[in-house]
Amino acid sequence: MKHLLLKIEPLIWLLFGQGILLGTILLTGWILVVNLGVPLGLISDDGLAFQRAHELGSSLVGRLVLAALCALPLWKGAHHMRHVSIDSGGAGRDAVVAPLLYGVAALGSLLAIAAVIRL
Amino acid sequence: MAETLVKKFVVTRFDPDKDEAPRTESYEVPCHPDWKVLDALNHIKDEIDGSLAHRWSCRMSVCGSCGMNVNGQPTLTCKKAVSDLPDTVEVTPLANFPVVRDLVVELDGFMEKLKSVKPWIIRAKEKAVEEGPMRQSQAELEEFKQFSMCINCMLCYAACPVVANEPEFLGPAAIALGHRYSVDSRDEGAAERNEIFRGEGTVFACSYANECSEVCPKHVDPAAAVNQAKFNAVIDWAAGLVLPRGGKE
Ligand code: FES
Repeated sequence: MKHLLLKIEPLIWLLFGQGILLGTILLTGWILVVNLGVPLGLISDDGLAFQRAHELGSSLVGRLVLAALCALPLWKGAHHMRHVSIDSGGAGRDAVVAPLLYGVAALGSLLAIAAVIRL
Repeated sequence: MAETLVKKFVVTRFDPDKDEAPRTESYEVPCHPDWKVLDALNHIKDEIDGSLAHRWSCRMSVCGSCGMNVNGQPTLTCKKAVSDLPDTVEVTPLANFPVVRDLVVELDGFMEKLKSVKPWIIRAKEKAVEEGPMRQSQAELEEFKQFSMCINCMLCYAACPVVANEPEFLGPAAIALGHRYSVDSRDEGAAERNEIFRGEGTVFACSYANECSEVCPKHVDPAAAVNQAKFNAVIDWAAGLVLPRGGKE
């Protein structure tokens, strides 16, 4: 397991890095607009009307962005949590913790891809 | 004459031939106000207890041999002024290293890691002297200059939470010094080092706590080197997947 984890480390780090990028830039904006701006009445929700949002989201670029937006932060979270586990003295249990966390991220990514295909 | 500051130094002592575990000994040291911690340790050794073992050489933050944990903080003892410290000063050996005796730590593990990243210029074919010098622009120099300032004091290893948990991790200084050559325009060994960076002591073990850069007495910013090394190792790995012959010429 240790050897396999070492082999896929560059890929994980790539997903993790992109997750940070999207998580901090796009998701923050998303949360500010959808979870704060609109409910507080600071931003008009015209742009979020179903028809318009669906058109935008179901275009090819929209689907790719949505899938990335759902999947990549999962890898970021999984990788962070793995390192929190290691840094808090859990190097010995990494062979169990890492596959578990990455498994959840992989499953979530598959679900996200399936969801955007069905949009 | 300026007044002396009397400080209590609580120093870790350990003699593997006699002691089962490290113990501490306290010394009242009359410190001159402009003394560094190293001066106080030298005073203890010269005037109070000659059996104390500690390592030092240059006394000017150049040789990197006087690193110890001072009040829990990895510190160059020849740089840290006693006047900046509280009345009780605890001096322990650098954390995350095996102890040889008292405040002296074992360097072999670090030396092995350093050697493994090939911290020298690698060239497929040496340039003959007659062909003249290898010219380098200011911009090319800036790519690596900062990382070449490392004095191998190993404070970054004592501060790194990953080294503490994963002893095989190459660690900040070794990665910074390997990376220093990989980004040198005269070097052709980046691919070799990238493979080492992805290997057993992988650079990806770094969780970017940034502690190494916090404690670095030479402002090398090893954390930046580690993260640039990660990026280069990923690009090189991805190139290996899509380009024929792994992107190698
Ligand atoms: S004695 Fe040389 S760096 Fe401190």
